[in-house]
Amino acid sequence: MKLNFVPVLSYFDSLLAGLWWTILLAVSAGIISVFGGILIATIINYTSRIVSAPLRFFVWLFMGTPLLLQLWLFYHGWAQLDILLPAMFIGIFGLGFHYASYNADVYRAALETISHGQYEAARSLGFGHLRTLFLIIIPQAMYRSIPQLGNNLIIMVKDTAILSIIGISEMVLAAQYAISVTYRPFEFYITVALIFYAINLILESLLNHYEKKSLIKL
Amino acid sequence: MDYQLMYDITPLLLKAAWVTLKISFWSFWLGLIVSSILVATRLSGILILVWLSRVYVSFIRGTPFFVQLLVMYYGTPAFGIELDAYNAGIIAIGFNIGAYMSEAMRGSILAVDHGQNEAARSLGFSGFSTFLYVVLPQAAGLMIRSVGVLTVIMIKSSSLVSIISVVELTYQAQRIIGSTYKPLEVFAVAAVLYLIIIYGVRYIIDRSYDHYTRYLH
Repeated sequence: MKLNFVPVLSYFDSLLAGLWWTILLAVSAGIISVFGGILIATIINYTSRIVSAPLRFFVWLFMGTPLLLQLWLFYHGWAQLDILLPAMFIGIFGLGFHYASYNADVYRAALETISHGQYEAARSLGFGHLRTLFLIIIPQAMYRSIPQLGNNLIIMVKDTAILSIIGISEMVLAAQYAISVTYRPFEFYITVALIFYAINLILESLLNHYEKKSLIKL
Repeated sequence: MDYQLMYDITPLLLKAAWVTLKISFWSFWLGLIVSSILVATRLSGILILVWLSRVYVSFIRGTPFFVQLLVMYYGTPAFGIELDAYNAGIIAIGFNIGAYMSEAMRGSILAVDHGQNEAARSLGFSGFSTFLYVVLPQAAGLMIRSVGVLTVIMIKSSSLVSIISVVELTYQAQRIIGSTYKPLEVFAVAAVLYLIIIYGVRYIIDRSYDHYTRYLH
């Protein structure tokens, strides 16, 4: 069998439409994971063990089970409770929460590296407890975790491909539609892989750039 | 919560968890072979081999594992290679994790102090036996942790082979959800099995890391 990339060209429009959904998913789930992560990490590190127990349990649970299984739970679970949610919503929040728990781990380590002197200095300058946390401690911790967060973000962008299984028409599902018509699986999947590779290269170079900048600032 | 159902599906899911373990086991060894080849070519100093290994690692790490799996299963027949789902899954995971492992292994090898190398060479070891008897045993201790973390990630991503209909834990869980429509109960049992596997493997890794690095600190 010979490779034939002509069908890929004729369906390239639908792949590009899928690419927009991929980007939309990645951006919204990325925002949830970055800010959800810092929220979880702050609550775990700065409240009593009893208050943070459920959160610690969920981080432990989310990090110990596969994303795919979690997606199936959210996809069918809400319907069991008679709550019907759009797949897009489930996809974004499922992916977002999964990576929020990974990011929370990163943030918790970063929060512990901020010296206690920073806290004391801010308090002695008249900042309240919460204002110290949100204006002094957390921004520094977020800055220090940029390299790790970037890595998690790159992994997350690749995992958006999994969301095709709950029927979100991102790139892989667009490719699958085209394959079901043209029956050219290798050509289409390799094209999707190359597009992801291009996104990945762009993200990596952006990350390197910001890493250098954030190192200068610290 | 339907506890009777949870009790009833446990044997089915246990059997499926065993498949997950088997897939992880074989793809771990395949990954080790692939990564050893990649590290050897990367450190060989032969320009074309170094370049090939870098391109491979960069491409595998830059594309979603899900898409690699689809290429491996649906794409290979275009070249006359017919793989069944189980083997395609193992090969896809092994080739994927091999690329990640090779970076971790290379990092550990480069982390061994260069003075060790020089000391061994000055004592009359050849380049290869320096690597084999001096550098590698020290690097192996360091490798355990980073390769172990990757192994845990690999076990989790092995759930994706359910997409190409390999009957492993996630596939079985999803099928039971489909027939009983009790997602929470099924998830609870499957999650417990995954947690046992994953935190069990992590425990073994931590213990063996402590054991193999006891002379390093």
